[in-house]
Amino acid sequence: MSRFFHLLINEHMKLYIRKSTWIMYGLLAIIIVGLGLLSNTFTNDVEYDDNWRETLQEENEQLIKENEEFQENMANGDAEIYAGPNSHLIEKNNYYLENDIQPTPYDAWQFVMENEMLLSIVSLLTIIIAAGIVAHEFKWGTIKLLLIRPITRAKILLSKYVTVLLFAFYTLCFVLIFSWIVGALFFGVAGMSPHIVINQNGDFAQVSVLSEIMSGYGYKLINLVMMATFAFMISTIFRNSTIAIGLAIFLMMAGNSIVTFFADRAWAKYILFANTDLSQYADGNSPWIDDMTLQFSISVLVVYYIIFLALSWLFFTKRDVAGQ
Amino acid sequence: MTEQAMELINVRKQIGKKEIIKDLSFTIQKGEVFGFIGPNGAGKTTTIRMMVGLMKLTDGDVRILGKSIKTNYKEAIREVGAIVENPEMYPFMSGWRNLQHFSAMIPSITKERIEEVVRLVGLEKVITEKVGRYSLGMRQRLGIAQALLHKPSVLILDEPTNGLDPAGIREIRHYIRRLATEENVAVIISSHLLAEIEQMCDRIGIIKNGELITTQSVQDTMEQVDLQQVEMEVSPIEQAIDLLKEKHELNATEKDGTLHFQSTKEVIPVIIQTFVQHEIAIYQVGVSKTTLEDKFFDLIGENAIE
Ligand SMILES: Nc1ncnc2c1ncn2[C@@H]1O[C@H](COP(=O)(O)OP(=O)(O)O)[C@@H](O)[C@H]1O
Ligand SMILES: [Mg+2]
Repeated sequence: MSRFFHLLINEHMKLYIRKSTWIMYGLLAIIIVGLGLLSNTFTNDVEYDDNWRETLQEENEQLIKENEEFQENMANGDAEIYAGPNSHLIEKNNYYLENDIQPTPYDAWQFVMENEMLLSIVSLLTIIIAAGIVAHEFKWGTIKLLLIRPITRAKILLSKYVTVLLFAFYTLCFVLIFSWIVGALFFGVAGMSPHIVINQNGDFAQVSVLSEIMSGYGYKLINLVMMATFAFMISTIFRNSTIAIGLAIFLMMAGNSIVTFFADRAWAKYILFANTDLSQYADGNSPWIDDMTLQFSISVLVVYYIIFLALSWLFFTKRDVAGQ
Repeated sequence: MTEQAMELINVRKQIGKKEIIKDLSFTIQKGEVFGFIGPNGAGKTTTIRMMVGLMKLTDGDVRILGKSIKTNYKEAIREVGAIVENPEMYPFMSGWRNLQHFSAMIPSITKERIEEVVRLVGLEKVITEKVGRYSLGMRQRLGIAQALLHKPSVLILDEPTNGLDPAGIREIRHYIRRLATEENVAVIISSHLLAEIEQMCDRIGIIKNGELITTQSVQDTMEQVDLQQVEMEVSPIEQAIDLLKEKHELNATEKDGTLHFQSTKEVIPVIIQTFVQHEIAIYQVGVSKTTLEDKFFDLIGENAIE
């Protein structure tokens, strides 16, 4: 066990001693600050103080007026279909008023919540790391020195895989914490457990921002782990990081299209990407294919995961390390 | 002491249909420096890869201090330090960090031990510099340092003299000899240039096309170096052979109607005198110097594969 710990330290050292890794964090930081600046420009800075009811009503009057102006400019037929650009906001304001909920101002927590999309970038970076961690040893020729030690190849491979997962974890933490800090600087913090009103499948509901953060990031993590494991497998099989990065990113991008393309086939539900988004089973959502269930998707994910790891193990432990 | 450090038993390697190593067997004793010589493509690196478990054996076994690399890998490899092909290290880390990295993979290597091997290979001044900036010679030394960290019983160096100047080779020879005599390490050095390593070896094995052609002790061959290969056309040949045996204690053979034997340069005129005295007709005398190098080329032949 302690030997394994040393292996983890070694892998971390090799990862974090290189500038390219830090450039990744630098890029993430720049993107987060950029998003903060962007949100700062586009959020309305209306204060909902003790007179929030009046403020909301005034807001609604203004919005309704705008809507009417809009409809006057439209042909009659269209106006019946489209209630106007502000109807969504009006409904939301009405929900606040009807349920007597004081609107929460935009703050660090909501900024973190919105940055959920950054997990795609974290996935990308994790794929890059996963694709290189084995292949680079072959490229550098250091694999020979790495393997001629009294440690099984399986253990060395595991230390590399765990390092990839830890990298994803650290990077995720970085996104969460740095977003929160940037959010706090730009928008302030509205309490420790703020609630907001959001539109869920056509109905408004009040939800905890923290639980939204958890589920939003959580659902995306499944795809992240699966794609990183896939890249790791390709990298151990082909001993080439470019192929692994290319394939994994291509599949990550094309995943949904692949499922849509084959949607009418009987086996479509067994495609990995039909199952990576477990939020399809969340309240009010409907799954890709009607007869799919949460249990089914989890089983499919587990089977893929085991296949990815088993193939990595097989190729890494059984194959000769020969010259180029 | 003649304890076996490493033993190759009928080792074979086949990749696809090609038989790269054909039934290789030899042993290396503790404290012995074994030169593994052969032209490029002969199979030296492949053999070494099998010795350290990077490649599987198609057939046969490799035993290190009696432990099989196939069935007892961890115990066997613990006794081995090696450089395979090129001394590749992580270029973005310092020499020191590289050594730290590899020492963390083996139990109980202290900081003092790392310092000791750095001193042994003489890299103290550059050890904190990035390996990417090292010359090939410095990388070779760092490679050797890495191989010595855990005090192995068997040290395997694949072409360690590649890219070194004569001074560098002399230096490597110096500490390899010291490891063998003082620490009783068995050293296996491969090279495609006999001249570069013959002086540091106790014994050499010559490999060609995946076959071990011969192993011989360097002592033997060194003695032979002073000997001349003499070829004489004489008649009658039988009497000449008898005379050589009688008067000069030389074993001569007859080949294609000519007389062949080895002797030092000084005795050749004496032999001729003897023949003249016994009325043996001498038509022709040919002398060629046999060095180890020549012997090597004799053995591997002209058509050395690249
Ligand atoms: N992975 C491989 N696949 C097929 N042939 C190989 C492989 N590795 C080496 N060889 C062949 O095996 C022979 C021996 O190579 P090698 O052991 O590198 O020779 P040396 O180290 O003596 O120069 C060469 O003919 C080479 O082409
Ligand atoms: Mg070679």
